[in-house]
Amino acid sequence: MTDAVVEVRDLRKTFRVTERQEGLAATLRSFVRRQRRDINAVAGITFGIEAGEVVGFLGPNGAGKTTTLKMLSGLLYPTGGEARVLGFVPWRRENAYLQQMTLLMGNRTQLVWDIPAADSFRVLQEIYRVPEDSFRKTVGELTELLELQELVHKPVRNLSLGERMKVEFAAGLIQSPRVAFLDEPTIGLDISMQVRIRRFVAEYNRRTGATILLTSHYMDDVVALCKRVIVIHHGQLLYDGPLADLAERMAPFKVIVATLHDGAAADLSVYGTVVARDEGRITLKVDRQIAPERAARLVNDLGDRLTDISVEDPPIEEVIDRVFSGERVGTAP
Amino acid sequence: MRYLRLLALFFRTELAYELEYRTNLALELLQMVVIVTTSVAAVLVLFNYTTVLNGWDLGAMLVLLGCFYLVQGFGELVLQPSFEKFMEHVRLGTLDFALLKPASAQFLVTLRHFQVVQLAQMGLGAVVVIAGLPRVSTLGPAEAATFVIALVCGFTLIYALLLALSTFAFWFVRIDNLMAIYWSFLDAGRFPVDIYPGWLRVTLSSAVPIGVAVTVPAQAISGRLDLIGLGLLVVGTIAAFFLASWFWRLGLRSYTGASA
Repeated sequence: MTDAVVEVRDLRKTFRVTERQEGLAATLRSFVRRQRRDINAVAGITFGIEAGEVVGFLGPNGAGKTTTLKMLSGLLYPTGGEARVLGFVPWRRENAYLQQMTLLMGNRTQLVWDIPAADSFRVLQEIYRVPEDSFRKTVGELTELLELQELVHKPVRNLSLGERMKVEFAAGLIQSPRVAFLDEPTIGLDISMQVRIRRFVAEYNRRTGATILLTSHYMDDVVALCKRVIVIHHGQLLYDGPLADLAERMAPFKVIVATLHDGAAADLSVYGTVVARDEGRITLKVDRQIAPERAARLVNDLGDRLTDISVEDPPIEEVIDRVFSGERVGTAP
Repeated sequence: MRYLRLLALFFRTELAYELEYRTNLALELLQMVVIVTTSVAAVLVLFNYTTVLNGWDLGAMLVLLGCFYLVQGFGELVLQPSFEKFMEHVRLGTLDFALLKPASAQFLVTLRHFQVVQLAQMGLGAVVVIAGLPRVSTLGPAEAATFVIALVCGFTLIYALLLALSTFAFWFVRIDNLMAIYWSFLDAGRFPVDIYPGWLRVTLSSAVPIGVAVTVPAQAISGRLDLIGLGLLVVGTIAAFFLASWFWRLGLRSYTGASA
């Protein structure tokens, strides 16, 4: 294995679930003889993450993202395969490892409701044995970055969801971890709070060089933070590479948006598939290889009628959606 | 040492919280005084009609009652709030956070929360013990030492039992009723365990060691506990603690699916 911070090789996790049909008879039958079924939550994935990288971990619900994060943080034993984080086998949960990592979950809180976060920070300081001066420094930095000044002295129950998430972030980073697993860190937050959390994560990564693996349903999170993405589906790795190349690999077409003076009447279907039409603004889907040539023809043919034209990759949501709904054409590495 | 510092820190944060609700605090204190006073009065009334209850005279009964409040107070001081939160953590999945800390998860979960006001109950219990003492025997250093040992064993037994019971939360998730049964059993400790009929006595001293936790310290301070009895108590307590901790770890494995 290399000297990567996170190394995962053929990691697998199978959950055994008991199944039964509805109805009393079925319940009784199942009580006597359980119908069990194995679910491959993670079906052999391999990847590595270098120090300081921010990697987006994408996949639909049930793809195995959280299961993978839980294995990497040490909460779950894998059914098979290997993983090392900072050189440790995570599920041994050695203190030396736990000391250097954090798992933040957007939908769960580790703060005590009734007491102010500042008190919880103190408890965490003692648990992680953070020396007083570095504790002050860390809390000072986090307070500044997340604008926590007033928030930490109010009981957690009195904070809004967004405020709580900011405080939650601070609590998870008291020990200045070298690796952070973020599971849906912006879930349920309003747009402006999402943006602030994103800015914080980017700035934190820049300042501390911490390695970050992040799952999110919001593509904006991923686009803003991650140069590299890992896409999994049905527990298998579909794509691992630069975010910029994802569209190229996963979507075989480009989008041409042409705006015309008299667009309402124009028929551009000879240039590509018309997917949207909004007044003079017409959106075309065109095969990736021939997109430049089509765009040139459009400019040539339409001349002055054209006020604007652009050639773009399809929106990342759409690419991902295509991947997950099995429409993918083209090859993943 | 580190764990003691942590314990003190847990205590301080919860103290600050309770002090914020002064009225509630005052009412709880009042309630405690009323409960302790009436139960002492009940014992006094009882001993108007008799001088001895299966070998327990008034002084011994007062000491026993004091021990009961000491043990119950300890249970409500830290065990009840912590174990309630523990089961909530299992239900909500927030136990994950405790498991990912570089410290004993069992410690972080089961001794995490305090109802500081319950110290007053323990204080009242101590007062009742002291009130009963002069009627019992002369308190020598030997009795005092065995009393302290027996009381610590009593606390530990209660802890071990609660730990074992709450472990079922890993499989059944909701076990609030089980805990309610436990607290009602604790009430039986108000009386010396040897006045109960055989089957109940056995239950109260083995499966539910509340009888032992309360009665034995009371016996110790009144000089009625011999060294063999004390030895048995200590060995039994240590065994119970390790057994319960083992069971808890077993439950934990099923929580994390860590049964590789």
